[in-house]
Amino acid sequence: MTSVLSRARTLQLVGALIAAALLVTFPIWSTPWEGSRYATSILRDMLILAILALSLDLLVGSAGMPSLGHAAYFGAGAYAAAIAGQRFGSDDLLLGLGAAILVSSLLALAIGAVAVRAAGIFFLMLTLAFAQMVFAVAFQAADITGGSNGFSGVRRPMLFGLDFNGPDALFHLVAVVFLLVLLLVWRIRSSTYGRALVGLRENERRMRALGYDTTRLKLSAFVLAGAIAGVGGALQAYSIRFVSTNDVGVARSVEAFVSVLIGGASTLLGPVVGAIVVLFIERVMPSYIAFAETVLGLVFIIFVLAARQGIVGMVRVAYARARA
Amino acid sequence: MTPETAVVQALNGISFGALLFILAAGLSLIFGMMDVVNLAHGAFYMLGAYITLTVVQRTGQFWLALLLAPPLIGALGLVMEPLLLRRLRGRHLDQVLLTIGVSLVIADLVGLTWGREIRSVPFPAGLDHAISILGGDYPVYRLFVIAFGVVLAVILAIVHRRTRVGALIRAGVQDAPMLAALGVDIDRLFAVTFAIGAALAGLAGVIAAPVFGIYPGMDVDYLIYSLVVVVVGGLGTLSGAVAGSALIGPIDTFGKVLFPQFALALIFAVMALVLLLRPTGLLGRIRIAR
Repeated sequence: MTSVLSRARTLQLVGALIAAALLVTFPIWSTPWEGSRYATSILRDMLILAILALSLDLLVGSAGMPSLGHAAYFGAGAYAAAIAGQRFGSDDLLLGLGAAILVSSLLALAIGAVAVRAAGIFFLMLTLAFAQMVFAVAFQAADITGGSNGFSGVRRPMLFGLDFNGPDALFHLVAVVFLLVLLLVWRIRSSTYGRALVGLRENERRMRALGYDTTRLKLSAFVLAGAIAGVGGALQAYSIRFVSTNDVGVARSVEAFVSVLIGGASTLLGPVVGAIVVLFIERVMPSYIAFAETVLGLVFIIFVLAARQGIVGMVRVAYARARA
Repeated sequence: MTPETAVVQALNGISFGALLFILAAGLSLIFGMMDVVNLAHGAFYMLGAYITLTVVQRTGQFWLALLLAPPLIGALGLVMEPLLLRRLRGRHLDQVLLTIGVSLVIADLVGLTWGREIRSVPFPAGLDHAISILGGDYPVYRLFVIAFGVVLAVILAIVHRRTRVGALIRAGVQDAPMLAALGVDIDRLFAVTFAIGAALAGLAGVIAAPVFGIYPGMDVDYLIYSLVVVVVGGLGTLSGAVAGSALIGPIDTFGKVLFPQFALALIFAVMALVLLLRPTGLLGRIRIAR
C-alpha cells in the first residue's frame, strides 16, 4: 500500500518538475511557432497576475478576508523596485525585490492595522477605499512616482552578473519567481499557520477561544499577502521597464479578485488558472471582439451565481465523483 | 486664503456634499434593507450622467433628463434584484461580488456606447448664469445642487417617517425576516428598495453632469466617495448619509485648495480616524469595525 502511494507521489513530483521545466523554457521550445514572442509576453503577464492572485487567495480563500484592494501592495512593490533602482543607481535585482517586499509589507501593515478590525463586506469596503488612497498618493506624488505620466526608465534587473533584461531572460526570471511563490504558498497552506488561517475563515470565535490572537493572525496574513503581491509588482515593473498608476488601480485589484474566484478560491492552482482565463479574456479576446470587458463581467457573474467553487473546485468535484 | 475664496470654497464644498448625499442615500438605503453594499452604485451614477449627455445632445432639455434617467435606472435595478441578487439571498458577500460583475459590464457598455473621452453638458437653461457673491461670480447651478440636496433630504426624511413605504423600510431595516413573517411581500420590498437606491444613484448622475464631469472612471471615483461617506456617517441610516456627506464634501474641497499635494488622500485619513474613534461611523447603528 505504502509503495503504491509513494509511487503515485513520485509520479506527481516528476510530473510537476517536468511541467515546471517546460514552463521556464517556454520561449526556447516555442521559438519555431511564429506567435512565440507574443505568447511569451502574454504568458509572462499571466504569471505575474497569478502571483498577485496567489497572494490574494491567502486572504480571500484561506482566511476568508475578501480584500478588494490588493493592487495597492502590487503597485507599491512596482514603484519601490523602480524607485530604489533609480535612487541607488543600482541594477541589482535583490535590491529591487528587497525594496518591493519592504515597502509593500509596511504598507500592508499600516492599512491592515485598520482594515482587519472589520470583517466580511466591511473589510472589502475598507480595503477598496484604502487602496484608492494609495492610488491617489501615487497619482499626486508626481515628483517621486511620475504621477499620471508613469515612472519610466526602470533599470534592468541583474543578478550575480546575469542580465535578465531580454524578453526571454525576463520570462525565465518571472517563471522561476512564480514557481517559488507557488511553492511558498503551497507550503504555507499545508503548514499549521495555513490551517490556522482556515480556522479564521471557518469560525473566528472558536479560534479565539482556542487562544489564538485572531487580530494578529489576520494582520500577519495581510502583511504576508502584501509582501508577495509586492514581489509580483516588482516583476511587473521589470517586465515593461515602466510603472503606471494602473498598477495600483482598482481595475488591477478587481482582476486579481476575479482570477481567484473564477479559478477557485482556497485551491492552490485556482488563482493560477483564473489569472490565465482573465488575461485571455482581457488581452487575447479584444483582437476579435470589442466588448471583452463585458464578457469578463458576465463570466464573473455566472461563476458567482452558479459555480462559486471556481474551475479548479469544479474539476475536483468531478474527479471525486468519477472515482466514487 | 482670502475671505472671498473661503466663502466660494465653502459653497463648492457644500454643493459637493449635497451631491454626495444624493449618491450615498441610495447606497445606504440598499445596505440598510438588504445588507448588500451595491458596488455597481458608481456604475448607476455613471449611467445617469451619460443618459443626461444624450438627452441634452438630442433635445437640449436637461430637465427631461432629470425626469427620464432616474426611472430608467430604477427600472434597471428593479430587473437586477430578482434576476441576480435574489438568487443568492442570505449570502451577502456573494451578492456584493455580483454587483462587481454588474459594474464591470455597465462601465464597459457605457464606454462602447458613448466612447472613452471626457464629455461635458452645459448648465441647464435658467441656471446657466452666475450671481455675484462678495464681488466674485458664482455659478447659480451649484446653488441649485445645494437646494436640490437639501429638499431631497427633507423629502426622504418625510417619506421615511410619515408614509407607509417609509414604515415598511424602517421595519425591513430593523428585521426583514420578521417583516416577511408578518405577511409583507419581502421580495417585492427588496426589489423596490434596490430600484429606489439605483434611481437615487442615477439622479445623482444627472445632477452631477453639468458640474462634476462626465468621464470614464467616474464610476469608480464616485463609488469610492459614496463608500467613504457612508462609512464616516454610519451605514444604513439617512442621518448617517447626511452627516457623512456634510463632512466629506467640504473636507475634500478644502483639502484640494489647502493641501493640493495630498488632497486625494485626506478623506481616507478622515475615514480611518472616524473608524478608530467610532467604529459605527458618526451616526450609524452597525459596527463596521471592532
